[in-house]
Amino acid sequence: MTDTSLHKSGFLWSQVARDNIGIVVPVVSVLAAFSIGMIAIVAMGVPLGDALLAFWKGAFGSAYAISASLNRAVVLGLVGIGFVITMRAGLTNVGGEGQIAIGGMTATAFCLLPGMETLPLGLSFILPMLAGAFAGGLWGAIAGVLKVRSGTNEVISTLLLSFIAIWLLYWSVQSENLLRQPMTSSATLPESLSIPAATQVPLLTGSYASPVTWGLPIMVVLALLVALILSRSLFGFRLGAVGHNPVASARAGIPVGLTITLALFIGGALGGLAGALMLQGEQYSLKAGFSSGYGFDGLVVGLLARGSVVGVIAGALLFGFMRSGGISMEMIATVPSALVGIIQGIIVVMIAGAAYYLDRETTR
Amino acid sequence: MITQEGVVTTATPGTPVASQAPVLFEMEKIGKKFGAFAALEGVDVSFRAGEVHCLLGENGAGKSTLCNLIFGVHQPTAGEMRLDGAPYRATGPRDALTRHIAMVHQHFSLINELSVIDNLLLGQRFGRLDRKAQAEKIAALASGYGLELSPFALVGELSVGQRQRVEIVKCLMQAPRLLILDEPTAVLLPDEIQSLLRVCRQVAESGCGVVMVTHKLAEIEQVADRVTVLRGGRIVRQSDRPSEEMNALVQAMIQRPGAESDVSAVLGAGSLRPRNRPPPEIAQQEAMQLDDIALVDGLGVRRLDGVTLSVQRGEIVGIAGVEGNGQSELGAILAGLESPTGGRWFAGERELTSASPRLITRSGVGIVPEDRHRVGAIDRLSVADNLFLNRMHEFSRFGLIDRKRQRAAAEAAIARFDVRTQGSQVTFASLSGGNQQKAVLARELTTPDLKFLLAAQPTRGLDIGAIEAVYEAIREAADRGVGVLLISSELDELIAVADRIVVFYRGRIVGERPANPEHRDTIGALMSGGTRQSENAQ
Repeated sequence: MTDTSLHKSGFLWSQVARDNIGIVVPVVSVLAAFSIGMIAIVAMGVPLGDALLAFWKGAFGSAYAISASLNRAVVLGLVGIGFVITMRAGLTNVGGEGQIAIGGMTATAFCLLPGMETLPLGLSFILPMLAGAFAGGLWGAIAGVLKVRSGTNEVISTLLLSFIAIWLLYWSVQSENLLRQPMTSSATLPESLSIPAATQVPLLTGSYASPVTWGLPIMVVLALLVALILSRSLFGFRLGAVGHNPVASARAGIPVGLTITLALFIGGALGGLAGALMLQGEQYSLKAGFSSGYGFDGLVVGLLARGSVVGVIAGALLFGFMRSGGISMEMIATVPSALVGIIQGIIVVMIAGAAYYLDRETTR
Repeated sequence: MITQEGVVTTATPGTPVASQAPVLFEMEKIGKKFGAFAALEGVDVSFRAGEVHCLLGENGAGKSTLCNLIFGVHQPTAGEMRLDGAPYRATGPRDALTRHIAMVHQHFSLINELSVIDNLLLGQRFGRLDRKAQAEKIAALASGYGLELSPFALVGELSVGQRQRVEIVKCLMQAPRLLILDEPTAVLLPDEIQSLLRVCRQVAESGCGVVMVTHKLAEIEQVADRVTVLRGGRIVRQSDRPSEEMNALVQAMIQRPGAESDVSAVLGAGSLRPRNRPPPEIAQQEAMQLDDIALVDGLGVRRLDGVTLSVQRGEIVGIAGVEGNGQSELGAILAGLESPTGGRWFAGERELTSASPRLITRSGVGIVPEDRHRVGAIDRLSVADNLFLNRMHEFSRFGLIDRKRQRAAAEAAIARFDVRTQGSQVTFASLSGGNQQKAVLARELTTPDLKFLLAAQPTRGLDIGAIEAVYEAIREAADRGVGVLLISSELDELIAVADRIVVFYRGRIVGERPANPEHRDTIGALMSGGTRQSENAQ
């Protein structure tokens, strides 16, 4: 008797879960990952309340904290949207880190061009942003050309191009002939000059107390645009066709090589734009450790979204706030911020595992 | 590993008398289902030591499945297998090998970057590699079967035939009692085929049972002691005097089960409308012309050789032939997915040699490819999207697709071609095979300004009702003045539907006959390459 009712309620629950699987899986994964994270905090001997308070303060505690979290989310969201676009064409772009570096580097160079700060109509900050996006796009397109021309796997080429980009950035801030500020003393740091105020991305509120930049509305508009392209446009249709079956697409006259290259260009351009926004909206000068993992976190956001632009935004917000909270937790409650990395990792493993399990169920 | 036994058996001379040789391996009432699909059903066959036993049949007849059951790749779902009279069940290839059953697959499992000897010793678990000593031993074993090896050459630098020899030696090193070869001659040049057949003979003479899958009849005539013909997963004929019964074997292989030579009964072709040919001023125009088309593939094998053919408007030309004789390659060339290495082809006045698929479609050429799922459609997109896969731009304005208009057009096409579907927005994969094919046909037949249609194996896997619908649509197109090239391995269907039939054999056109039931036997003989010489002499 109890057996059957148990079985019945289990069945009911699984039915409900099945109908809302797109929401249930991420929510359960996030909650479970956070629980494991809290257990780890307790195991370290840190009072749980202190740690959570520190996390809360860092993520949502002040206008400044929220703004910083949102700015992080913008970067992650842009990289994630780029990932979703390339994913639609059946490609995996893991080169976000490098595309961010190229975008940041190019934006710096443009911001520091003589005369850039005097341009009218906001061009002084728009032009460097566009240049950063375009350069990131070209960096992504290299992987596309390699794939089309010689069949190089884009996972490998985008990853290796990332290393090249990261070391190019390092070189550019080490050499005075490139972007390093003039060495006036032996204490001059290996970084670029600060970019002029006119080339900085303006703040939405105009106050440094809540430094959300125009990057946020730009990201939202781009997300809507990409959602429209993917669902309604001829180009989006071609991306999907090539992603599902390149041979049939070729037979149907779809330019497969061009579509692949364009997809990687757009993915790279969004990464490049993210890099430009990081520089022009937050850091203001280029340093060797410029990106510090946003490219890879953005990739995870894109991966978790499983092709959905809304999913990207939700994931970007989650990861953006978690990153801020984690940093504060380390400073105030001496919990290593690596714990946030662990929690992120657990979320990924759980969602990916659920996806694998569900796909297997449905194809059975 | 070379066992002493292996070397000794090579020295054993003499040919056992075929019919008296002991039964080595038996299959009784064997069945194999993949899901609901029965790949094999009620198969009874026995293989004897010292004999070459050929398995004959079209693609999908179940030959490879049968081999995979013996080699332990798959497990039978019904029936019993016996080795030396004792029940046999291999859990996997490794298990089969320990029972001295070895298999040479169609696709080689060699590492190109390693030398021959390293490939042969791979996975043999020697402590210390004494390559030189092993090489001598292996070379001696191989030459016992008339196989010459150069042990230290890189596999990547060998010809296909040489690589296959390495694969065979790899099997012989297991001192096999039963050696299975899955379509070993498909990739070989003619003289390599000869030496392979000699090796098969010699291996059999050493007392080993040889099972060879093929659909080339000339080889059977030369080497087979026994032949088993499979069709649709069942044994339709067995012969222990194959060289005397070649014609009967061909018939068994290409005939629909239960069907006699009464063509209209085969198809229900009696119910096909009679042709209503276009007026002569249209019918005299050429729809498509092939001029000396040749194709040599990446391995240097000549797949197509001097194919010259023209199709008039309103004419249906059938290409008959056992599969693997160049039909697929011709289809790929006409689809724009492959470039010929020689010759030219035209649709109407326009040359389309090496043209892009887009240009080919724009020139009024429709293509129904033989592989629906890989080339003809995108399974995971909707029926509507697949109906306009190559013409989506017709519905787009400023880069955005007018989904409403596309949907309406799709529903019109679905109604016109009687595609049975739960709406235009369900995935293509959810349709039955016949309706998938109707959808592909609908797309290709509505190509603007259609002059020429290639239909490659358009009825494969379809039930009789769908077959009729497909041919009805093709004939209707021909009546409108479209020239049709129809590639099929179903000779009876070609006879029922086409106007004339050309026969492909080893990438060449070896003969042409009107599509008439009285030429059925001659065409069958041409397909087997049997009367090729006399045809050339004419």
